[in-house]
Amino acid sequence: MGYIELNVLNAPTTTPVTLALGIDLGTTNSLAAIWKDGRPVVLHPEGKGGLVPSVIHFPSDGMPVVGREARDHAVADPRNVIFSVKRFMGRGLKDVRSELAALPYRASETERGLIQLEVHGQKYTPEQLSALILMRVHDLACQALGGQDVRKCVITVPAYFDDTQRGATRDAARLAGLEVLRIVNEPTAASLAYGLDQRDKGNVVVFDLGGGTFDVTVLAIEDGVFRVLSTAGDTHLGGDDFDQLLAGLARRELGPLHGSALLEDPGFQQAIRLSAEQCKIALSTDPEAELHVVIPAKRVSWRRRVSREEFEALGAELLERTISACRQALSDAKLAPEKIDEVVLVGGSTRMPLVRARVERFFGRKPHTELNPDEVVALGAAVQANILMGGRRDLLLMDVTPLSLGVETMGGAVSKVIQRNSTVPCEATEGFTTYVDGQTGIDFHIVQGERELARDCRSLGRFQLKGIPPMPAGMARVAVKFHIDADGVLTVSAKELGTGKSALVEIQPMHGLTDAEVEGMLQAGFAHAREDFDQRRIADLKTEIGTMAQATEKNLNAGRAGLDRESIQDLEEALAAAKRACTASDLKELQRARDEFERATLPLAALLMNNVAQKALMGKKLGDV
Amino acid sequence: MQCPHCGAVLASALGCAQCGRLLDPPAELSPFALLGLSERYALDGADLRQRVLRAGRLVHPDFFTQAPAAERELAERNSARLNRANELLSDDWSRADWLVGARGGPAENEQRAMPPAFLAEVLEWNELLEEARGAPASPGMQERLDSLARTLAAERARLLQAVASLLEPLPERGSPRLAQARTQLNAIRYVDRALSEIEALSLTRASLR
Repeated sequence: MGYIELNVLNAPTTTPVTLALGIDLGTTNSLAAIWKDGRPVVLHPEGKGGLVPSVIHFPSDGMPVVGREARDHAVADPRNVIFSVKRFMGRGLKDVRSELAALPYRASETERGLIQLEVHGQKYTPEQLSALILMRVHDLACQALGGQDVRKCVITVPAYFDDTQRGATRDAARLAGLEVLRIVNEPTAASLAYGLDQRDKGNVVVFDLGGGTFDVTVLAIEDGVFRVLSTAGDTHLGGDDFDQLLAGLARRELGPLHGSALLEDPGFQQAIRLSAEQCKIALSTDPEAELHVVIPAKRVSWRRRVSREEFEALGAELLERTISACRQALSDAKLAPEKIDEVVLVGGSTRMPLVRARVERFFGRKPHTELNPDEVVALGAAVQANILMGGRRDLLLMDVTPLSLGVETMGGAVSKVIQRNSTVPCEATEGFTTYVDGQTGIDFHIVQGERELARDCRSLGRFQLKGIPPMPAGMARVAVKFHIDADGVLTVSAKELGTGKSALVEIQPMHGLTDAEVEGMLQAGFAHAREDFDQRRIADLKTEIGTMAQATEKNLNAGRAGLDRESIQDLEEALAAAKRACTASDLKELQRARDEFERATLPLAALLMNNVAQKALMGKKLGDV
Repeated sequence: MQCPHCGAVLASALGCAQCGRLLDPPAELSPFALLGLSERYALDGADLRQRVLRAGRLVHPDFFTQAPAAERELAERNSARLNRANELLSDDWSRADWLVGARGGPAENEQRAMPPAFLAEVLEWNELLEEARGAPASPGMQERLDSLARTLAAERARLLQAVASLLEPLPERGSPRLAQARTQLNAIRYVDRALSEIEALSLTRASLR
């Protein structure tokens, strides 16, 4: 009768005011939260954690599995378990070659430079893989909301994500059937979760070291407006890199013992990876921990003690990279460390004592660690979702674009169009002209980054202006407008002004998935994921009704004497209706029947709870209670 | 300024605090006018920030996610205009640059002259920067760079003072003071470039430590 107790404890269920999820799509873990009863809460179904490991397992037959279950297959089926897909979002093969070397995946590139990971001979883009994670997170969130299907959401990304990476995140959400209200930067979301709006004025630093990315953001808070002054970071620095240090240690010491064939073995690589992660986590609480690799099938059994000092010495260099980003962010914000009023730590990797100590030393103050660093971003996203749904107008986020936007000039240099740390939305207009008589098209190359040469920046792709009316060279005056929206995503539009009447010029983006490709993917296999979601939900509801029916039938006779006739009749009818609903597969009907059934069980549950409580109290002296 | 919809007096030309509607002011409206300020060099920074935050609350896309597409786009555009105006007004150099241009004074690429006395010092400063670029990180060099940064900051303040007295009150069109202000602005440009180079050099050194 477990369920009955739980229902009593949870009743009455209140529906949240706003119906938009805040989703933290992380490198290692993902999570959803929602605004409910005046505060953000993490969503997790009864009896399950809400944190979904961002891991996907493709079994040789059947649907992909996401989360903890997927991670459990890492060692046994390494080639078909995908980790850290966020690292590949919006990147090309050459950007992530070093990372791929440490991972057991087969990867290739599309003709448009998009990376694809291969599983069972099938190619998947990071967008598709992230969509699978989002669907799982959404699925669990909806279960936690009693089956309510909430599709609107705010998704967080590292502040330092470039345009392509943000676009890829948006596409992933579309593939998962979600409507993205806003893409929010993770550190900015975290500052909202900390309720720092309670403070009327002050400067805040958010230090966010996640599984695969690092961001530092400086904000000024004034009258409920959270204004980001600067942001800096590294999209390739996170907890994974600290794991790699320990994995490297294991490889160096195991190599001579077992030979290089073992080191190349994918199962061995995953085993090392997981063991390194465990060891790192243990070192956050213990002064010493064990790094062990045991694979009976390969006759490997290796253990080694690692002290915290040894680990910290290995990690010192990575840590200094975070501190130099802090220096950069402060310098951009034109603030000295002592001008900072609060420091907030975000991301699971800030649990490492060495990180906490270094941050405290640099800023000269104890950082906030009150909130669970794994949850704070999702909670902040839920706060932002509430604002976007019209829940409150007293709070406002003004964020910035992390990287300068520029156009490649003739000599391969970059002409900056929008400076980094400009408040978004922002826009700028740049003039272009033709070099040849009668030229009707102009190609230009857009990049993001701070380096002088285009080839050292991140390419957002080549754009083509088409349909310029033919005229002598240099006569055409094409005004190209670059708009970075509140999500930090770029749109480019153009007008030809030279002819007097402004012709609209066609623009073709050359990066990311095209709309047609996203549509195609939606129509192919991935669209079925939505049906699968419904099917899974139907199966879950049937199971739930079954359990409830069993418990009710078992307890109804015992409880009959204590209930009035009306309640009994009501319950029996609801029970029968729920059983009838189980014979069909109508999601709405099942949901309704389950809810109705649950309501009807309340009197019985209350009675039983009373009896249980009385029994429990009997035979005990008052003082024991 | 009055709201065309409800007639309320507007604090910002971008949106009405009274009826909550977004407005679409003409593209040529000056950044000063967008925020209800009169065109002049002297400016109260705290007041500007207040105006920007208040206008931000009226036009930010966050408050229009549930509105029709056209309105959402206008919110994006108005916020971009607001942010651009703020960038331009909050920075002394950009504000002066804009005013010189608006009064028909020479643009940066039309008149590149710097004050003659300033040029002599530039030669000396350039020498130190040149030396620092090639030199390995050393406490002595950092000391000299820090000292140069302090000199430059003081010089910048002096130059800005000169700009302020040339632009306040705002000169008539065709006044020689506009060209004089440009000369001072060019010198500030140099100082800013030198300062950011010193900062970059210092940051690299700090991260090497």
